[in-house]
Amino acid sequence: MDFGYTQDQEELRQEVRAFIDGNVSQGLLDEMEGGEEGGRGPEYRELVQKVADKGWIGISWPKEYGGQSGSRIDQYIVEEEFMRRGIAVGGAGSGAPAILAAGTEEQKEYFIPGMIRGEIIFALGFTEPQAGADLAGLQCRAVRDGDDFVVNGQKMYTSAAHYASHIYMMCRTDPDAPRHRGISIFLIPMDTPGITVRPLWTIQSDPPAPMGTTYGMVRTNETFFENVRIPASCMLGEENGGWYVGAMGLNLDRVGASRYLISVRRDEDIVNWVKENDFAGNSPADNPAVRDKLAELWTEAQVCRLMTMRSMSLVNRGDTFTYEGSAEKVWAPEHGVKTTEAISQILGPYAQLLRGSEEAIEDGLYAHNLMGSFQSGINHGSVQIMRDQMARRGLGMPRG
Amino acid sequence: MDILPSEEEQMIKNVARELLEAEISTAMVREMELDELGYPPTLWKQMANQGWLGLALPEQYGGQGLPLTYMGLILVEAGRVLAPVPLHSTTVAALTITSDGTEQQKQDILPSVSNGDMVLTWAVAERDPRLIPEAMTLVATADGNGWVLNGTKMFVDNFIVAHRCLVAARTSPASDANQGISLFLVDPNGTGVSQTALLTLAKDKQSRVDFKNHRIEGAALVGELNQGWPIVEAMLDQATALLCCQMVGAARKDAEMAIEYAKNRVAFGRPIGSFQSVQHMLADMILHVDGGEMLTFEALWKMDQGLPASVEVSQAKAFCNEKCESVVRTSQVIHGGIGFMMEFDLHLWFRRVTSWTMRLGTTYDHRARIAAALLDVPGKVRLGMPLPTAA
Repeated sequence: MDFGYTQDQEELRQEVRAFIDGNVSQGLLDEMEGGEEGGRGPEYRELVQKVADKGWIGISWPKEYGGQSGSRIDQYIVEEEFMRRGIAVGGAGSGAPAILAAGTEEQKEYFIPGMIRGEIIFALGFTEPQAGADLAGLQCRAVRDGDDFVVNGQKMYTSAAHYASHIYMMCRTDPDAPRHRGISIFLIPMDTPGITVRPLWTIQSDPPAPMGTTYGMVRTNETFFENVRIPASCMLGEENGGWYVGAMGLNLDRVGASRYLISVRRDEDIVNWVKENDFAGNSPADNPAVRDKLAELWTEAQVCRLMTMRSMSLVNRGDTFTYEGSAEKVWAPEHGVKTTEAISQILGPYAQLLRGSEEAIEDGLYAHNLMGSFQSGINHGSVQIMRDQMARRGLGMPRG
Repeated sequence: MDILPSEEEQMIKNVARELLEAEISTAMVREMELDELGYPPTLWKQMANQGWLGLALPEQYGGQGLPLTYMGLILVEAGRVLAPVPLHSTTVAALTITSDGTEQQKQDILPSVSNGDMVLTWAVAERDPRLIPEAMTLVATADGNGWVLNGTKMFVDNFIVAHRCLVAARTSPASDANQGISLFLVDPNGTGVSQTALLTLAKDKQSRVDFKNHRIEGAALVGELNQGWPIVEAMLDQATALLCCQMVGAARKDAEMAIEYAKNRVAFGRPIGSFQSVQHMLADMILHVDGGEMLTFEALWKMDQGLPASVEVSQAKAFCNEKCESVVRTSQVIHGGIGFMMEFDLHLWFRRVTSWTMRLGTTYDHRARIAAALLDVPGKVRLGMPLPTAA
C-alpha cells in the first residue's frame, strides 16, 4: 500500500500548476464561458496544442499512437489540475480506452493522435427516447449494404454533438439476436450527410449557470440519423459485439479526476467559504451543528478520493474492475448531492439566489449546484443500476 | 500511489487469515465470553510464535520492526474471527513504551511481549469518558522519589490479565490543559489497586480500576513529568486506528455472512438475494466496509511515514462508528428472526462491533477534532493536500 505520490509526481503536479497559471488567460475562460463551439474555440485549441506539446495528453496511452506509455497516476494528476480550473484535457472520458482496447490498427492510428491534438472529439450516442437506463433496448438501426452500413434512428442527450467531430454510437445490427448480442458500435464523422443535431436546453440555461457549477451544462442535444451511409470500417470491435465494448468503455469513463471532482469540489468550497465569510457577524463556522456536518461531509469526501485512487491503482496495474468502478459511481454522486443540499441549509436563503441576482453568493453557484448535483446520479448509469451491478457482478447475487 | 495491498502485504493477510480461521471457532469465542481470563493462553503463545505480538516492535527487543500497516492487517484478520485475545491492548501499550519508555522499561517489557509472556493494557478514560486532558482527574502526588495514585479509571481492557498498565494521571493542576499530565507504568496487582468487572455488550473484559494510595517508584514514569499528554494522544491515535482495523475486519465478515444468507434463503419462491431491495442493502454494506478500510489504512500508512495523522484517524473512526454499525445492523435485518436467536452466531459480531463504536471516541468526538482542523486554522483547504497548520 502506498497512499503517497512520488517525488517525480509531486514535481509534475507543480509543473502543471505553474503551466496553468502561465497559460490560462481570462480570454480563454471567457471563450469557454461563452459556450460557442461548446467552449472549444481558438484559444482552447491553442491551449490543447501546448498541453499536447508538453506530452500531457493521454500519458498512459501507448507511444506508438502519440501517448507516453506512462503511468495512469501521472495522467490523473494532469487531469485533476486542469479540471480544477474547469478545463477538460488529459484524455479521460474521451472514448480512447475503448478504441485502444477494441480498435483496428488503422482506427488507433487515426483516432488516438487526433484526440491528442484535440481535433477529434466524440459525442456519445448511447441513450434513445425509449432506451435510457435499459440501454440494451436501443432501436437505432444500422443495416449492412455491401461494404457500407446505413443508419436510421435517434439518439438523446448527445451533449457534445454540436461541436464534436465524431459520434461514438451504439446501433442495433441484428434485430433477431438476443438483445445484448445484436448491438454494434460505430465511430461516425458528424459531417456525414443525414445527421441533424437539435438543441435541448437544460434547467441550467436560464439564467446560464456560472462556470464551475456541478453539471452546469446549459445545452445538450438530440441527434437524428436519416439514411446515414457509412463505410463498414467505422465499426469498432466485432459486429454484434458492441455491448461488451461499450460496457468496458463506460466503466473506464466512469472513474478518474472528473468523477471525483464533480463530487467533492463543493466540500472544499463550503469549508473555505465559512472560514472567510459570515452573515453580518454571524459565522456558520461557530455553529456546532454545522461543524459536525462539515466534518462528516469531509470524511465522506475522503472516501470519494480513496475510491478514485483505488480505481486508478487497479487501472495502473492493468487489473480489471469487479465492482470498484460501480462502487465509485454510487458513492461519489450521492455524496455530492448530500453536500450540495447540506450547503443549502448552511447558507440558508442565500443558496436560492441564482446567477445575476442581487446578494447572490459566488454568483449563484450554490443555487445552480442544487439543479446539477443530482444529475450525476443519473448520467452514465444511474446509482440504482450501479448498485445492481455491484450486487450481481461483485457479490454474485442472482437476477430477479 | 497504489492503495491496494502489495504482494507481501497480501501474503501476511493470507497467512493470518488461514491460521486464525483454523484456530478460532465461534464456540471458542462463546467460551471465552464466560472464561475467567477471557483468552486461551495457548493461542496467545501460538500468536507469539508466529511473531505477531512483536510484529511492529523493534528488532533489538525481540520484535520484527515491521510497519504499523502490517500490524493493521493482522488486526483486521483478528477482528474478522473476533479473536478472543488481548492483542489490541498489548500492542498499543507496547508501541507507546517503544516510542516513549526508558531503556530499562523497554528491556523489561518488550521482549516479554514479543514472546507472549506479558499482557499489557492502558487506562486513560475516567467517569467523564472524553479523551481530553481536562477529563483527567486521577491524581499522582509526589512522594519521595515516587508518586502516590488516587482516583478511578474506566473501561480498561484486559486489566484482570495484564502484567502492566499505562496510566494517565494528573501531576500538576497546570492552567494549560496540555500540561500537567504524566504517564506511568503500573502493576495491576499492586497494593491499593482494585478492579471491578463491567458487564459489556461485547462480553469482553473491561474494568473500572480504583487507585487508593497506590505507591509507584520514580522508575515508573514514562516520558517527561507533566509532559505526558502528547504521548497519550499519540497512543490514543494508534489505538484508535488499530481498533478501526478490528471493526472493518469484523464488519466485512458480517457482511459476507449476509451475502451468503441472501443467496440461500428462499422466500416468495426465490432467494431473497434476487430482490433488488436486498441487493442494494448488500451493495451499501460493501461501500461502507471498503470506505472504512481505506480511511483506516491511509491513517496507518501516514503514521508509518511519520506524517501527521490525527485527522486521518478521526476520519476513520467517525466513519467506522457509523458505517460499520450500519453494516452489522443491516446484516441482522437481512437475517431476520434467526439473527437474534442466542444459538445463532451472528450476534457475536453485532455485539462487538457495536461496542467498539463507543470506544476510543464517539462519532461526535472525532468530528469535533476534524472540524477544528478544518475550520480553526486559517488557510484554504484542499482534499488530498495537507491541511493548513498553525504558524
